[in-house]
Amino acid sequence: MPRIARRLLARLVVSGGLAVALGTAGLLAPAFAPSSASAAEDGGADRVVVGALRFTSSAPIFIAYERGYFADEGLDVAFSFFQGAQPVAVAIASGDVDFGLTALTGGFFNLARNGALKVIGGHFHEVPDHEGSAVLASNQAYDAGLTSPEALAGHSLAITQVGSSFHYMAGRIAEAAGFPLSEISLKPMQKVGAMIGALKSGQVDSMIIVPHIAHALDKAGAAKIIGWVNAYAPYQVTTLFTSTRNVAERPALVERFVRAYQRGIADYRAVMLDQEADPAATDEMTRLIHQYVYTDRPYDKAAPSIQAGAIYVNENARLDVGDVAAQVRWFQDQGLLATDFDHTDIVDTRFVEAYNVPD
Amino acid sequence: MPDVRPQDRRPVPFRGGGFRPHPLPWAGPAVFLVLLAVWEGAARAGLVSPLVLPAPSAAAAALWSLVESGRLWLHLSASLQRLVIGWTLGTAAGIGLGLCIGLFSLARAGLGPVVAALFPIPKIALLPLFIIWFGIGEGSKVATLFFGALFPTIIATAGGVDSVDRTLIRMGQSFGLPWRDVVLKIVLPGALPAILSGARISASIAIILLVAAEMIGAEYGVGAYILLAGNMMATDQLIAGVALLSVMGLTVAFLIGRAERWLLRWRG
Repeated sequence: MPRIARRLLARLVVSGGLAVALGTAGLLAPAFAPSSASAAEDGGADRVVVGALRFTSSAPIFIAYERGYFADEGLDVAFSFFQGAQPVAVAIASGDVDFGLTALTGGFFNLARNGALKVIGGHFHEVPDHEGSAVLASNQAYDAGLTSPEALAGHSLAITQVGSSFHYMAGRIAEAAGFPLSEISLKPMQKVGAMIGALKSGQVDSMIIVPHIAHALDKAGAAKIIGWVNAYAPYQVTTLFTSTRNVAERPALVERFVRAYQRGIADYRAVMLDQEADPAATDEMTRLIHQYVYTDRPYDKAAPSIQAGAIYVNENARLDVGDVAAQVRWFQDQGLLATDFDHTDIVDTRFVEAYNVPD
Repeated sequence: MPDVRPQDRRPVPFRGGGFRPHPLPWAGPAVFLVLLAVWEGAARAGLVSPLVLPAPSAAAAALWSLVESGRLWLHLSASLQRLVIGWTLGTAAGIGLGLCIGLFSLARAGLGPVVAALFPIPKIALLPLFIIWFGIGEGSKVATLFFGALFPTIIATAGGVDSVDRTLIRMGQSFGLPWRDVVLKIVLPGALPAILSGARISASIAIILLVAAEMIGAEYGVGAYILLAGNMMATDQLIAGVALLSVMGLTVAFLIGRAERWLLRWRG
């Protein structure tokens, strides 16, 4: 945080100083602008840093990198790996990272509201015919009657943090089941590992988690799957985003990045969304993803988790703008976000197809 | 000794004043106000973006909305309850163990190294264990504060007992005072200043640990509020929450100062 503050501060000072310099020596301005622009949009490889999580859900971006789609667009991509969604957004706001691919959270919206970030494309989306996040009950709570998400009222639910995507999903389930979210006792645990620990030991009654972890827990008898989030909310979970500076000053670069990323998505969808169709291709792609995900496990052990974690990703990175708008409104209704902005302030629809756009 | 004529005599002013501090009650608040004014001015003039550092007025507004919604009391009461229980138990146990270490050779030889080994362990690192031992409810939170307050109190108390004037103790013993009276009337009062300054430190450590203790499973609490503000990137609320912690620290320091004056009034 101090580093970020310093950088932003430094940038403010520099831009302030620049403004003064240009103001006093107006003649310099025309000479200045084109030269800096041509440096950024030069024909040579542009270096961009991508903030990603080591999840199977980030796979399209690894595919685009490994298969040279970024190189085709003249982009020299470097990855910077993070442990959670929030730090990626902060790193983009501070200028350390150019593109991010993580879940939308309350903190993300607040950074975007302050003008630091723009959502430019869609990624993981909850859809009815494809497995997404699952709702799990602890064995004790299941035996005591918690057998469907509708029965969550009066129970505790582990989340990482207030304002996280888990918090939001709990809210949408409560809404669909027809009881106020306040009837679920939310337990912030900070980390997914701590959530799993609390569920296994019965200290919390329930949690929501990605499919491959849910299946593993259910199969091991450590917890019971009692429902799926996609039955309650069509939900744009993760998005592609970048800094406001990038979309304003380097739109051509953003376009090239999105093009390469869309090719990665096309490859991913062709193979991973129907893994039985071509086992050889599935195996090859799993090996590619394994270079980034579950690298501490041998391939044989990692492959089932990688394949089970292949969640649905929007075609061509289409963005469900209507759901982004609904998410902003939900956080505002919870009193977690200021009400002085809406989705139009944080979404830039120039780069991918936007659908479900509110009037 | 040569005679000095009266007209050669000069008055010599007292020069040995040293750097004696004298009270300037206006200086502290004045520095505070100037800092706040500069900060507010910089934010109003747009020199500092609200993301980098929100204006004091924005933080005050966040605090006010907390008061208005009634959540301030929920957060404060949850934290104060944890603080009072954890710190009181920790301090009581610390004074007891510290006295034992100070008075009994066996306790000193046996417990001294244990305390030295356990004190530097960050209690935040033990939080996952506390959760397994005491659950995600109040138990793990109170335990974090308890252990945070325990060790500094043990060390301050044992040190205080060590620094009690030996001649006073020997005199009491020579005059045939029973052991109990030596402890209650000589050792304990003599160690009290050190115990109280230990209490200042342990109370501050307990307030610091509040944020860590409320990381897991806490719906309300000043620490939980600060964590939420951090998650939400709501920097105005973050500053408001930190200010609340500062006020708690000031209040505790004031109360311990009062206790010091009352308990040590025998020093005159």
